[in-house]
Amino acid sequence: MSTESDGNGESVDLAEGVDHQVAMVMDLNKCIGCQTCTVACKSLWTEGGGRDYMYWNNVETKPGEGYPRDWENSGGGWKSADHSERQPGEIPDQEDYGEAWEFNHKEIMYDGSDQPLRPNSDPEWGPNWDEDQGAGEYPNSYYFYLPRICNHCTHPSCVEACPRKAIYKREEDGIVLIDQERCRGYRYCVEGCPYKKVYYNATQKTSEKCIFCYPRLEGEGPEGETFAPACAEECPPQLRLVGFLDDEQGPIHKLVEEYEVALPLHPEYQTQPNVYYIPPFAPPQHSEDGETTGIDRIPRQYLEELFGERVHDALDTIEREREKVDRGGESELLDMLTDTNPARKYRMEVFDDG
Amino acid sequence: MSRNDTAHDETAEESDASDRDDHRNPEVGDPAGEPAQPVDDDGSVSSGSVSRRSFLEGLGVASVLGIGGASATDDSLFEMDGLQTVGDPIGDYPYRDWEDLYREEWDWDSVSRSTHSVNCTGSCSWNVYVKNGQVWREEQAGDYPRFDESLPDPNPRGCQKGACYTDYVNADQRIKHPLKRVGERGEGKWKRISWDEALTEIAEHVVDEVQDGRYDAISGFTPIPAMSPVSFASGSRLINLLGGVSHSFYDWYSDLPPGQPITWGTQTDNAESADWYNADYIIAWGSNINVTRIPDAKYFLDAGYNGTKRVGVFTDYSQTAIHTDEWVSPEPGTDTALALGMAQTIVDEGLHDEAHLKEQTDMPLLVRQDTGKFLRASEVPAVNTDADRPEWMLLMADSDGQLREAPGSLGERDGQKDYSKSIELDFDPQLDAEQTVHTTDGSVRVRTVWNELRDELAQYDPETVHEETGVGTETYQRVAREFAEVDKAKIIQGKGVNDWYHNDLGNRAIQLLVTLTGNLGRQGTGLDHYVGQEKIWTFHGWKTLSFPTGKVRGVPTTLWTYYHAGILDNTDEDTAEKIRESIDKDWMPVYPEERSDGSRPDPSTMFVWRGNYFNQAKGNVAVEDELWPKLDLVVDINFRMDSTAMYSDIVLPTASHYEKHDLSMTDMHTYVHPFTPAVEPLGESKTDWQIFRELAAKIQEVATERGVEPIDDRKFDREIDLTTIYDDYVRDWASGEEDALAEDRAACEYILEHSEESNPADSDEQITFADTVEEPKRLLESGDHWTSDIEEGEAYTPWKDFVQDKNPWPTATGRQQYYIDHDWFLELGEQLPTHKEGPTNTGGDYPMEYNTPHGRWSIHSTWRDSEKLLRLQRGEPVVYLHPEDAAERGIEDGDTVEVFNDLAEVELQAKLYPSSQRGTARMYFAWERFQFPGDTDFNSLVPMYMKPTQLVQYPEDTGEHLYFFPNYWGPTGVNSDVRVDVRKQGGTNE
Repeated sequence: MSTESDGNGESVDLAEGVDHQVAMVMDLNKCIGCQTCTVACKSLWTEGGGRDYMYWNNVETKPGEGYPRDWENSGGGWKSADHSERQPGEIPDQEDYGEAWEFNHKEIMYDGSDQPLRPNSDPEWGPNWDEDQGAGEYPNSYYFYLPRICNHCTHPSCVEACPRKAIYKREEDGIVLIDQERCRGYRYCVEGCPYKKVYYNATQKTSEKCIFCYPRLEGEGPEGETFAPACAEECPPQLRLVGFLDDEQGPIHKLVEEYEVALPLHPEYQTQPNVYYIPPFAPPQHSEDGETTGIDRIPRQYLEELFGERVHDALDTIEREREKVDRGGESELLDMLTDTNPARKYRMEVFDDG
Repeated sequence: MSRNDTAHDETAEESDASDRDDHRNPEVGDPAGEPAQPVDDDGSVSSGSVSRRSFLEGLGVASVLGIGGASATDDSLFEMDGLQTVGDPIGDYPYRDWEDLYREEWDWDSVSRSTHSVNCTGSCSWNVYVKNGQVWREEQAGDYPRFDESLPDPNPRGCQKGACYTDYVNADQRIKHPLKRVGERGEGKWKRISWDEALTEIAEHVVDEVQDGRYDAISGFTPIPAMSPVSFASGSRLINLLGGVSHSFYDWYSDLPPGQPITWGTQTDNAESADWYNADYIIAWGSNINVTRIPDAKYFLDAGYNGTKRVGVFTDYSQTAIHTDEWVSPEPGTDTALALGMAQTIVDEGLHDEAHLKEQTDMPLLVRQDTGKFLRASEVPAVNTDADRPEWMLLMADSDGQLREAPGSLGERDGQKDYSKSIELDFDPQLDAEQTVHTTDGSVRVRTVWNELRDELAQYDPETVHEETGVGTETYQRVAREFAEVDKAKIIQGKGVNDWYHNDLGNRAIQLLVTLTGNLGRQGTGLDHYVGQEKIWTFHGWKTLSFPTGKVRGVPTTLWTYYHAGILDNTDEDTAEKIRESIDKDWMPVYPEERSDGSRPDPSTMFVWRGNYFNQAKGNVAVEDELWPKLDLVVDINFRMDSTAMYSDIVLPTASHYEKHDLSMTDMHTYVHPFTPAVEPLGESKTDWQIFRELAAKIQEVATERGVEPIDDRKFDREIDLTTIYDDYVRDWASGEEDALAEDRAACEYILEHSEESNPADSDEQITFADTVEEPKRLLESGDHWTSDIEEGEAYTPWKDFVQDKNPWPTATGRQQYYIDHDWFLELGEQLPTHKEGPTNTGGDYPMEYNTPHGRWSIHSTWRDSEKLLRLQRGEPVVYLHPEDAAERGIEDGDTVEVFNDLAEVELQAKLYPSSQRGTARMYFAWERFQFPGDTDFNSLVPMYMKPTQLVQYPEDTGEHLYFFPNYWGPTGVNSDVRVDVRKQGGTNE
């Protein structure tokens, strides 16, 4: 379980030169695939100006090919844990992202067109094309939803990939940003990111990505108030916790470092993401005569592919804690995952006085 | 250079001195009074002419400029003229000034509080951000005050649809000017006309109709008052003054669960969603919470970490099933058999709550074995009764076998709801009694409802239930046991079980589970049916604003549509006969009324606002072919061009949800909060209240010019006087003050002032409109329309008036009534809940079930046409198919297919869904007609059919328990028993 802590995050592995590291935990057992996060992000950051096809935040159905299509097989990241050599990657084709379709509302509604309302192209893929599809077969099919943003990695391979050194990690919070003045749109970062969370803007000739809503964190609005990232604040089931990995009193540190139930996606990419996931559980399988069995619905092997070997311990821990609560006991772990304490879920100002 | 310094620099601008731990909200204002009105007639409006797209592209251009001219010229890796070398950019980067680029985007000029007028039961308070005079974006206000700290935070309420309503404000779909149709209905060919031309044409027509006595040929269709009561009232008020017809919606949409009026004598009453968290056990029965109750899903999800077991009953491995602890998957249409099987287990194993059954239900009442009717005090000479109506005093046997009157029976009550009587017992009735009674008809064998029920349940043995439902016997019996044994168990019943022909039986069977186990009238219990918003918290204020005369020509929309679409005989002979009988006996009204000479005119005029009647009408083929041509004038009032607008004659542009004042409420929570205008109405649009007010003015003007005399209403004791209709429209009928209700905001205040929930009679406390702008306000009390009080620190749960306070239930027996001794129920063998097969071959003899559930991506048809949301789907309608059903038909994912039956064929895209059971074509519903090629839509495949048990009055002669009342009792517009097949595009029909 947890390493000894002396109260100032020294048990946490931060990038060298970074004082604190923002982090997010997403509880997949609360993700309902509603895409409010996706829409919140899009309306705020990626409308017009060549950004329309981008979803800095997307939610994909797993198992599934995701966005961009087949991103998990597109390379990138590091070859090993010593971060000395990058794994080569590919730049996805435009079709793998899908186009931002335009529609013929005006023609149909006001100009007497007898065509149906349709995209201006004949699309075969889009950012949420395989929604709800998953794998397996009724009654033992399975699927769940996976929200994704830039992981603001501790060892970001996009930073290493950029020949202009236009990508950096902020000293005060570890947010990874692409300098929009310095970037020349070479797309090495797109290739180098194993999560394919950097997007090329053909209009502006730069690459762009999730900025962890730093203007909101900083209170840059007209009234000077701070907000967590829009994807977190607007999430109806409030499945995201936002704070600092090295805030030892915060739930993120406890979930990641102590209870070890919040896991990075695809740890084998070796970039050490700072977005963590509570892995999903599901109702058990059915037998042929319609009885509930004791067999896991989501194959553990599949979850292991996504979250690594530690997923077994994480799921066992959650199950144990749930049983404890079912018997009337208390669970600090489950309490942290329950939205009863609004002050706790976003802890962004803990180091302001430091 | 820590940017967090800025974050910490909190200014002292906190205007709200509340003690809540809430620093998340920007200052929200409501401009005083109405926003400036656009210039009349010529439409020369100063603002609102910049489209959202060009506005955003402007931003894009600014961004490009912001990153400097270097991007265009300097694109060589090695030309870093004058630039400092960057060493290791991890934690140390010298060029951070550019970060202002995104900081400058996080900026706005003003924020207003509003919400969305859609039938989703969400009622979510949003902040609307305005930049450069345009609506920029919205974000949940997130400031519902908490009333119980042990429950999850109620904030934020919202979903992805609400999060992009901004797009509609300046969308291509937006209607900006009054339009008159110049092509065929549905063609989309229009002529722009002035407001004066539009209102004059409508007014002339209306005056003609009323003068000719055809005021009951004028229909107003608008659903769901709770989502925007002022807009609801705007047209309803005018229709009411005209003597026109107000349409029901809750039954028409098949949202009404008929089992609730039948068993509980109540339209529906639900716990607010926060109460889910209080339950030890929840069965989500066909309620796809994670898709259709997005703002509330949190309570279901969080409950799983609080020791609550969550069981899902779904025919597919649904989006909610994935987050349950156990999923039960009955065959489609077999929910009733499953529920009755579970009831049998509970009763058989003695897990029922005997005390609850004796006091709160009809189980101890005696039933005559010769007639199947209840034994009545009037029939037994040995029983001395004081009741006014001994024929409705029902009898029980006490522990000595003596006959005793059931207290609270209708016979001693003053009407349906009478809290001066009590059902509390001073004797111990037998549940299991059977005896011979000397009656005025001689000796009659009687036995209890309980014994009748046990005989009925005995048919649902494990083998039969498994055979019928496919659910494993051990599984359903264990779930039944678990449900019965916990302290607090709850069922959330969804649309999925309410769309079947025999929905009344399904409801009653599922209700039986909470009744048998005594899970009613306490926190964390009950049966919640959140489908449609049947009623509104601020009931009295809304009602008197909408129907000032108090004399309402309400109509059951299912029957009205059926009748005028000419498909009264679209069923078996016996059913057709009963439908006519119901009309003849005046159990159910149809308008226009039959005239004294036996004739009945056709409906001539229809106003539709806040709804999409034409698109959403089941029996769509008949509605288009038969009903629509009867209408001489269809007027649609809308902010977007939906299918009904497309098929209208005159379209009037209304304010969007961000351009007006109104109120918002839902039975998912106990707060009231407002719409306030963030910007002025776009183009020439006006609010609904303004439009109908101006129409009233025009009618008054035309009528006065013509010297029209007042006429006597054919049915009600009142005169219809068109020469004062505007004066009547804007007069406050409660205070008598003239011109008091000219503005939307005054109408909002009227509702709050005249409702018990916001202005209780016995308290100085009052909620004003300004209060709601400050933050959503929890309602203070519940009026007569509710079955419990709103209590401080507790989530609202219904039925306490009966279960805790022992008032008579508003049923004939004064108890939860599972036995209905109406002649038709007895004739059809439905006196008790029972499982029946639905009608066969509806739509024709085809191998697949057609299922049209509520989906994630729209609220009914609203947002179906949203560009932003279509990009997150497949851009066009899809049908979910099991992979093997598809393979058998040579269909691959993404293929264009035709779903067809005898009524129509509909073309759309196939999507493979491994979580579907075999044999279902699942089309998440409410695509607009113009999204399908050819002249069909998703409802073209659906015939209409009505069930006689939903057309009755009960008692037959007096109807205190079941009587037509809009949205309380009337035939539901069911649509799930439909058969179809699917083929690749261009395939042939065998």
